[in-house]
Amino acid sequence: MFYLSLIEHTLRLPPSLLSLPLQDAIKKELENIFLDKVIASLGLCISVYDIRKIEGGFIFPGDGASTYVVEFRMVIFRPFVGEIIAGKLKESNKDGLRLSLGFFDDIYIPAHRLPKPSSYEHDQENRYQVIWTWEYDSEDNNKFYIDGLDEIKFRVDSVEYPPVPIEQPEKPFAPMVITGTLDDDGLGPVTWW
Amino acid sequence: MKIKTPNAGALTNFEVLDFLKARGASKDSSRVIAPVASSEYKVYDYLVETPASRQTREQIYEFMKKCKTYKLAKAEILNIINIAPRELVEIDPIIEHSEMRLGDQVEELLDLVRNVFPLPPADLTSEAGMDKDREETGNEEQNEDMNETLAGEQIDGDRK
Repeated sequence: MFYLSLIEHTLRLPPSLLSLPLQDAIKKELENIFLDKVIASLGLCISVYDIRKIEGGFIFPGDGASTYVVEFRMVIFRPFVGEIIAGKLKESNKDGLRLSLGFFDDIYIPAHRLPKPSSYEHDQENRYQVIWTWEYDSEDNNKFYIDGLDEIKFRVDSVEYPPVPIEQPEKPFAPMVITGTLDDDGLGPVTWW
Repeated sequence: MKIKTPNAGALTNFEVLDFLKARGASKDSSRVIAPVASSEYKVYDYLVETPASRQTREQIYEFMKKCKTYKLAKAEILNIINIAPRELVEIDPIIEHSEMRLGDQVEELLDLVRNVFPLPPADLTSEAGMDKDREETGNEEQNEDMNETLAGEQIDGDRK
């Protein structure tokens, strides 16, 4: 799920941070820039792991801040294809499910990746949600529900990074989308097994 | 910004949790003063509910040593450490073609997982075995002077 990545970045250190020791100031500035942001084809940046090299310290003419070239390692969240992750149900509609990991919400299980055969019926309480049911057998006592209570294990099918749109779409834009499947033994809500 | 090495080593959930704990993340009210960002706290909250919160470094080393006989892929070993499956149905989606490659050894592998990563006493009522109590003592490494990751060591070692 997580891995380290070595990144080199030219960092401009604002003069307001000059009172801190250099390492702390650089770490703080790196965190401001990178934390909780998605880098295309790399993943979601979780944390600065360590700083390997600091070079430079030049001051460009007309600028009050010094510029450093920093080489550092960062903890990145990017699941690989085939990884099994447990997440909580965020919402479910007729196109499929959407799961959340707390720090990452854009995990979609499209309807055709649910175990077959499945069907859905509308939730009485919430008008927009549906409840998915897996009909393991045709008898009623073998129906398995997907409700919002327990953790759902899924396998990662693909990780995509849609390009940033020029105009703002209606839905908030998701720079990293994970598509998963529940269609295998042991996947789905943990209480099913 | 230049990406020098996109993949400098895979991390198990336990290592990320350990790293965040070493920075000062914890569950109680010292959250506001710890130098941990709120987005990092979300990762911490998620990881604390996975089996990673009960693992120790020694357990992971032991598991990696002992699972060499089963010739698993790196991704499968990582998955097993992160999920700590206890039943056959849990391990089945992790290992590809498990019957072809392992056959009966799947049970052995499951036993190995159960022995190396025991459940805490509260969950033992559902388990038939009598796993020893090997809980974390808490602060294992307060400083991060480890420059290699656990899985990274394996990857580098195998490359030679």
